[in-house]
Amino acid sequence: MNRDLSKLRYLRYHALDVAKAPLLIFALVAAGLCVVLWRFSLKENAVVPGPDVFLSMTLAVVLTVACLMASGGVAGNDIARGYYRSWFSKPMAPWWFYFQRWVLGGLAVLCIPAFLGIGLQLAFGKGTGLTSDVFAQTALVYLLVGGTVLLASVFTARDWLITFFLTFLQAQLENVSRVIELPAAAEWMHRVLPPYQMVGVGSPLPEGQKLTHVILYGVAMVVIALVLFEKKPLGSGGRA
Amino acid sequence: MIQFEGVAKSYTGLISRKRVDALTDFSIEMSRGEVVGIAGPNGAGKSTMISLMMGFLQPNAGRITIDGKPARQWIEGNGVGYLTELVNLPAGWKVPATLQRMAALSGVPSAEIAARSATMLTRLGLDEHAAKSVKQLSKGNLQRVGLGQALVGDFELVVLDEPTHGLDPLWTQRFRDVVTELRRPDRLIIIASHNLDELETLADRVAILDHGRLQRVVTHQTEERSEQLAWRLVLEGSVDVAAVIPGATAVAGREGTWRCVASRRELSQGLGALLAGGAVLVECVPEEGRLESAFRAAVQR
Repeated sequence: MNRDLSKLRYLRYHALDVAKAPLLIFALVAAGLCVVLWRFSLKENAVVPGPDVFLSMTLAVVLTVACLMASGGVAGNDIARGYYRSWFSKPMAPWWFYFQRWVLGGLAVLCIPAFLGIGLQLAFGKGTGLTSDVFAQTALVYLLVGGTVLLASVFTARDWLITFFLTFLQAQLENVSRVIELPAAAEWMHRVLPPYQMVGVGSPLPEGQKLTHVILYGVAMVVIALVLFEKKPLGSGGRA
Repeated sequence: MIQFEGVAKSYTGLISRKRVDALTDFSIEMSRGEVVGIAGPNGAGKSTMISLMMGFLQPNAGRITIDGKPARQWIEGNGVGYLTELVNLPAGWKVPATLQRMAALSGVPSAEIAARSATMLTRLGLDEHAAKSVKQLSKGNLQRVGLGQALVGDFELVVLDEPTHGLDPLWTQRFRDVVTELRRPDRLIIIASHNLDELETLADRVAILDHGRLQRVVTHQTEERSEQLAWRLVLEGSVDVAAVIPGATAVAGREGTWRCVASRRELSQGLGALLAGGAVLVECVPEEGRLESAFRAAVQR
């Protein structure tokens, strides 16, 4: 048999999975939020935020959760449930398989501001609130949050839970550091943990060293995860 | 094709730190054109051996190569038709979609995926379950889907771990036909099974493992005419079998039924004498298969 061993031959099935699960949910939630806002605007004396404010407020709330949904439990579940035995007995490298899925998850997350912007335009006809900064911040959040999930998924199916805990911990350390000087250990942890506090829609896009720090940290997590997928045996026992 | 050289694998408990040697100094070579059986009691190391070969585990010592390359590297380039002992597939996937996805992963060209998957559905009698999702399948049907995903890629190396687990007698027989059809000079088929009859029927040679060690390799070539086997003979009327086959004993309460231990040659000579004397043979069967007796001897149970 002449084989089609193109690296992208499974991409359409990954795309189908992403479209069915996170992307559809993102679209429905975005539409729902826009409808709620539109109905609210019909009330007398209602003060409706502008599209840019609504977009920032919404993304600030949903983005981390959306990143966890888009990237969580993919590789970790496959390994924990033993699906990997069927997938990777075929001519396919684990790192490439999961990298494609991770990138598609990121594209789904980038669709959230687009969905919200289109919804706002349809509801109010006053613009979308979309700027290149919104997309850049969304991409950076996915790089950090999704990157953490991908790295954690090498070791556990609870990758999203670990990532959620880390984002929460970093947020608390950031909040406290604004009020008091952190103890040495906490300060060290604040520096070492992924810099989630440096990115977020609504805050200014990081520049210079901060931007480099965010990108290098995110890329490093992704690269380490991919190297581990390739080098670390996926099994933990004869059957597991 | 596949070479295990002094391979060892042990597991160490995370808390207890207790070490279990799953495979010790395991060496074997398997070539294209063969059907190789892997037999052994529970915990003998069969699944560990397969996981090592698939590159899902790293050996503590030794080397596993396929066509001279590290096993994992070869598999990522060529693929293996692998049926896992426990068939794990996403519960929500429909049966045809499962085979199509696995065909795509296997490198079946896009234009052929639908046709090849449909052929596999028919070949494995899954047409009537085409509308079902994986979670709606019975154990036996799930096993057949597992077999389908392993075979849809038409690979040179096929590894079947407990392939008839959960299959009814009809499909167990059908599976044997499938394996016979799979035989090709350029293909190696490895079957790990508890079912010794199945291995005796299908395999050219069987590696018997126990306590993580290769105890014995039984081949058709090593069959010896002098090998002593237990036989059950049933003859019409009252015939004194012990007079011609030394050590034969009549089975109490069953007229004309005898048990004896003899080589094929001794048995043939004895039966020849009995038949020449006018005896009528009703049945002559080995009490246990040749592989079964080798298995018992190898694992000493």
